[in-house]
Amino acid sequence: MTRHTRLVMSMIYWAFVLYIFVPLILMVTMGFKDSKFIGFPIRSWTLDWYVEVFKDAEVLSAFGYSMLIGVSSTLISLAVGIWIAVLLNGRGFIGKGLIYGLTLLPALIPGIISAISFRIYAQLWGIPPGTGAIIWCHAVHNVPFVVLIVAARLSTLPKSHLDAARDLGADPIIAFMRVTLPYLRPALIGGGIFCMLISFDDFVRSFFLGGYQPTLPVLIFAKLRSGMSPEINAIATVVLVLTGLLGIWAERTTRRMKQGKLQS
Amino acid sequence: MSGKVQTSAATLAGERGAGNRQGGRDGRSFWGAIAASRLYQAFSNALLSSPRRQFAILLAFPVLWVLTQHLGPMLQMFYVSFVDAYPVSRGYENEFTLDNYTRFFGSSIFIMPFFRTLAFAATLTLATLVLTYPVAYFLARHVKRSNQMVFLLLLLIPFWVGEIVRTYAIMILLGNNGAVNLALKWLGLIDRPIPFMYTGFSLSVGIIYLSALYMLLPLYSALEKLPRSYTEAAADLGAGPWTRFWKVTLPLSLEGISSGATLVFLISTGYYATPVLLGGPSTTVFAETIAGFFHTAGDEWPTGAAFACLMFVTALAISLAFGRLMTRLQKGVRK
Repeated sequence: MTRHTRLVMSMIYWAFVLYIFVPLILMVTMGFKDSKFIGFPIRSWTLDWYVEVFKDAEVLSAFGYSMLIGVSSTLISLAVGIWIAVLLNGRGFIGKGLIYGLTLLPALIPGIISAISFRIYAQLWGIPPGTGAIIWCHAVHNVPFVVLIVAARLSTLPKSHLDAARDLGADPIIAFMRVTLPYLRPALIGGGIFCMLISFDDFVRSFFLGGYQPTLPVLIFAKLRSGMSPEINAIATVVLVLTGLLGIWAERTTRRMKQGKLQS
Repeated sequence: MSGKVQTSAATLAGERGAGNRQGGRDGRSFWGAIAASRLYQAFSNALLSSPRRQFAILLAFPVLWVLTQHLGPMLQMFYVSFVDAYPVSRGYENEFTLDNYTRFFGSSIFIMPFFRTLAFAATLTLATLVLTYPVAYFLARHVKRSNQMVFLLLLLIPFWVGEIVRTYAIMILLGNNGAVNLALKWLGLIDRPIPFMYTGFSLSVGIIYLSALYMLLPLYSALEKLPRSYTEAAADLGAGPWTRFWKVTLPLSLEGISSGATLVFLISTGYYATPVLLGGPSTTVFAETIAGFFHTAGDEWPTGAAFACLMFVTALAISLAFGRLMTRLQKGVRK
């Protein structure tokens, strides 16, 4: 490649980075504006909106509620996802391809359709809209991501490790607990954080399966519908910083794991 | 690797080596004690008596889970789309009906958003592809391998911020007092703000913003796998940059294009909050139509279910047809 095309390419890349970041930077900036009115230019600055956010009981409880849902659904997704990944990584059997396809299905269903199909399904099982329904739906939705990440890690587990465990007298359960599970650690950390973030950020499923208590995205949505305010910017900025940092950490863990730099 | 083997062997023997994080404090490790307990042995003997039984246990739960949890909701939605009432009130028997489907074809209120959604999704998928291909190419071919992760992470940060927050960011960018209008005014290009918001334009910007990375990642991994020697060989044989791109790089990245496009297409048919917040009356998408049936009393659910089935089946059929076309093209390439 010539130097010329390389330059053009790098300019396109940085333009794309700008496209990704400028809206977010503007949003963050607006959270420091000393006026109720959203819009440029910003003449004076303040931190009051952040003080407001940390005093707003509604926001704090929505945050806690989202965390609760995120953690619970992640634990379920991890347990189920590990089990499915171990099965899919093992010996072949009739229908393995089908099970694999069905495992990935929730990741491919468009958001609104996934949400309302679960709303109907919850009705079938008599699960009322609310905490349980949201946790359950988030858990199912996140299983495919856990399976993909865990299966990637499992495929690099040397068979000799398990053989060694068996030779030393461990049965499959003990061998799994003491060899496989510790080896999966980076995948579980990375996959777990991904699930947490997906659940924490999810709007459409929480919106259709929720009861009276809103999750944080549902609360932001409701606030947005009644009008933009710098307080929303402050909430969004806190969410942005938290999820961004966690996301980077999880992404680094899984990518390094795939590159084989982590030895559990 | 050899260090790892030693560690696990030591752990298994119940010694507390330097690398042993899980071993118990007492002489025998926690798991060793469990394995030796009579209760566990009875349990283990009952469950794991033969390889066949072990496999059956391993198999049973995942099969049950994917059938009831992954497939179940879709099947139930499909069933509900053919009944006249759901959820049913006590003492009422459901009746089979096709009305929920015929209702769709009866009114342009339903048909318009349906085709608008498909057209939007297809256009935006193409736009996203054109936008992200050079970015993925730059990352995979021009950035040093050791730096690639940093460059990629930079793009992935906003990916983990939810739909609502990113949609809000676009609202601030494009509003009448937004950054774009301010910049245009400052440059003296306009006197009055351009109403970007609540149009197809703002919605497109928002959806591309949300789904660009679903395209970028498959493209990047396809291009990353492509050996540099291929394009070098083409160059040695006298092919110019454009020929190399059209005859070598593009055909060999079809796999990435195919999976990226399928993902973006399917995902962008399912956005609900973004069209509500960024779109207007002229951009109503089918997700809003479907959602409308679930805001009201339960007797509208079957229609909503039928519409959701129509949307999903159509979107899936289009993606499958597209995927098949791509595979055929790829086979053509290999010949």
